[in-house]
Amino acid sequence: MASADIGAAGFAALFDDLETDSARLSRYTIDGLLPKAAATVHSLAEVARIQSIATDHDLAVIPIGGRTMLGLGMPPRRYDLALDLAGMNQIVDYEPNDFTITAQAGMTLADLQRHLATNGQFLPLDHPRFERATLGGICAVGRGGLRRNAFGGPRDWLIGMRMIKADGTPITGGGRVVKNVSGYDLPKLFAGSLGTLGVIVELTFKLRPQPASDQIVALNAPTFEAALAAAQSAAKAAPFLNGCVALSSEAAANAGALGASILHDQPALLLRANGLESAASEVLAQGLQAARAAGLDGPERTTSAIVETWQAVADLELQTSRQHIRLRLGVPPAQLIRAQQILSRQLPDASSWIAAADSGLLFLEVAAIDADVIKSLRNELGPLQGRLTVETAQPELKQAVNIWGPSGPGARLMHNIKEQFDPQGILNPGRFIDGI
Amino acid sequence: MKTPTALVHELIDAIGEAAVVWHDEDLLVYEYDGTIDRGNPDVIALPANTEDVASLIKIANKYDAPVTPRGAGTGLSGGALAAKGGVIIGMNRMRRILNIDVENKTALVQPGVVNLDLGAEAERYELAYAPDPSSQRACTIGGNIAENAGGPHTLAWGTTTNHVLALELVTADGEVQWIGHDTRDEPGYDLVGCVVGSEGTVGIVTQALVRLVPRPSAVRTMLAIYDSVRQASNAVSAVVASGIVPAALEMIDKMTIAAVEPVLNTGFPLDAEAVLLVEVDGPQSQVDAEGARVEGILNRFEPREVRSATDPIEREQLWAGRKGAIGALGQIMPNYYLLDGVVPRTKLPDVLDAVYEIAERYRLPVANMFHAGDGNLHPCLLFDEREPGATERVLDAGGEIMRVCVDAGGAITGEHGVGLEKRDYLPWIFSEADMDAMKALRAAFGPTENFNPCKIFPKGHGCGEAGHQHAQHQIAKFGPKAFV
Repeated sequence: MASADIGAAGFAALFDDLETDSARLSRYTIDGLLPKAAATVHSLAEVARIQSIATDHDLAVIPIGGRTMLGLGMPPRRYDLALDLAGMNQIVDYEPNDFTITAQAGMTLADLQRHLATNGQFLPLDHPRFERATLGGICAVGRGGLRRNAFGGPRDWLIGMRMIKADGTPITGGGRVVKNVSGYDLPKLFAGSLGTLGVIVELTFKLRPQPASDQIVALNAPTFEAALAAAQSAAKAAPFLNGCVALSSEAAANAGALGASILHDQPALLLRANGLESAASEVLAQGLQAARAAGLDGPERTTSAIVETWQAVADLELQTSRQHIRLRLGVPPAQLIRAQQILSRQLPDASSWIAAADSGLLFLEVAAIDADVIKSLRNELGPLQGRLTVETAQPELKQAVNIWGPSGPGARLMHNIKEQFDPQGILNPGRFIDGI
Repeated sequence: MKTPTALVHELIDAIGEAAVVWHDEDLLVYEYDGTIDRGNPDVIALPANTEDVASLIKIANKYDAPVTPRGAGTGLSGGALAAKGGVIIGMNRMRRILNIDVENKTALVQPGVVNLDLGAEAERYELAYAPDPSSQRACTIGGNIAENAGGPHTLAWGTTTNHVLALELVTADGEVQWIGHDTRDEPGYDLVGCVVGSEGTVGIVTQALVRLVPRPSAVRTMLAIYDSVRQASNAVSAVVASGIVPAALEMIDKMTIAAVEPVLNTGFPLDAEAVLLVEVDGPQSQVDAEGARVEGILNRFEPREVRSATDPIEREQLWAGRKGAIGALGQIMPNYYLLDGVVPRTKLPDVLDAVYEIAERYRLPVANMFHAGDGNLHPCLLFDEREPGATERVLDAGGEIMRVCVDAGGAITGEHGVGLEKRDYLPWIFSEADMDAMKALRAAFGPTENFNPCKIFPKGHGCGEAGHQHAQHQIAKFGPKAFV
């Protein structure tokens, strides 16, 4: 039976505990599309069963965690079933002295961090809306955050994973040890695959001890450009900084509204360092000295609300104003200033700029943008090895611009992999790079 | 004089006579790597550039000849052995560092660059290449990528996979493509993450863009000598639990001390049971503070002595006993079998006890040297292959040690690779479905059946060799899927 033939009653006959009421399905809307049904799962076996049925009936399934990043990706080609994993939120295995933890995919990053904090440990990942974002979702998106330079991304901390293949077969990759070359690294394949290869149900991470001291300091700047130039100098002078972020006045104000009061609603440079107290202070002082030499002469502002301040800035990635379009640029750090100049010249009305100078990441937002402008920006940024993605936009614009940008020479291999793991194309069809 | 076959003729036409090795006596050196297995290649081809590699693979495919990539041949799992004969593609001529991008902290290198040479070049710019396998004086970046090599300093910095951004890859069908990006985690499947650690079974890397890390402004190395392995293990646990992430945390045991002391004059007392090496690095103030704290912890476990050095030459002396350990073992016995088990850190003391027990039962001397901070142990079984039955005994004991690691929740290899040597043990940690998923990934890279055949996965056709038969024996003894 093809998916088009299955009505609400047909779905109910296939699965127990299925949500088919359209009002309650609205929470799973993706690019204006509602699924025909939603299943909330609580076990690996339930996911396996659903995938097996979905394969038999050719139903398009979209695995969903905390619903913080549903706007990311191309509009789905089809969307029959929302597979809600947020209820799979348990710790599976945690031996603190091993410095590893295994948790179910629906656990939020915030819950995991709270759990780890009781043992003086943490997982060094920044992610927007971490109170809601789930481990499975964060790894499916697979991107590092504002401290990407210092800590890498989910792939760098993942050591093991359990997944359910599109056809319902449970598989495991990696293990519970911090170093492992036993077999191919399937966790890395699944991290960043945006749910197109299988459903991530369980993850094992290696962990870090919480640093004895974690410090941040903010310096205001006359303009975003000045803050960015200072950030680049600071990152160069103090390579052991673990965060080095420049914000425009709108971004500072928005972060201020979320709790980052030390930014004073002005363009700002925000530095973060950790380690033993004296070491963190030394690194921060190196960064500050470089920022001062670059012309920032305002007072240093600091706070003990480090996590809250940092998270407020990280959250901006998902705080785009209504109807606005958010863009993300990844570029080698030394090219960041030139890339920013290209963007601001072609997008004079862009606002809410955030740049992680040491990581080569830039976020900005615009009220409107033409597909031609995106194309021209990509042409100009290409030689700098910059990759521009459109993070949130109306479906029409997404279709017109290809939000991921050109797929590059690895596309042939990516299609081969998709074909091997999901030959029917039932998982997240059409949302990923190059139509995958 | 042997007559070259049509295959050899065609390889010579493609890359020149001087770059093709095919006489029996010249092939001898390519029969070995760092393991006790052997392979018999028919011909060796030494390409000068990416185009050569692509042509060679296409020619081999035309003749259905197996292809085996090879770096320096220092591998410890038989990964570079031509298990089914055919063509070995040796990457040693492609050994140029093409670019160091100081601003973006990256290096573009050819695969034949020696690990330590890249480190030395990076050092000129106050940068470092973090993965530092013990064979770094000889092993190449291409081989490091194939095996996802680690080393003592991966405790703080991660293994090779955490340091590779992009690769030029010639896949098993002879197609050339770049995978990855100049920046991390950009959109698309993590093809680089799939290729690193794939043990040369999906293609040959012809260029690599790797990350460099800032060189720490200060380093302090501490060495503590203990009267029992337990004491040393407890000190390791205490250091890890203290919240400090040392740059390295290494241990060697009495047998290793006995081997290195006469050769390297390390000044280790021959009756000591364990030597612990701990290194901290970073800004000066951090090194001062962490160093003092680590020294305090080491002293709590009643060491005979704690030595400390910050000067590069003195630090090198402290490291000499660890880095020279494998070479020195030849003093005790002509052959060794080096294992690479990895277990959750808290299981290390119990697993070590089991390793000593197994070695004693098999009447084999064992030297232990390991990355204690990572839970990665390298028991080294010493033997003389000329003694009848010795090799078989060693392989049996090795299988039993791997079983102990797996039963402790660990894995069969942490940084050396599965290769030829451990492939029959893979079902101890993965189900058929898991391995099918891995094979599906491999198939995405083209016709890979003949590409570095008989590696990683059990049950290859025509791959029969001594190690394989012994593994079958072990599996019969312990059951194929006790852990799965």
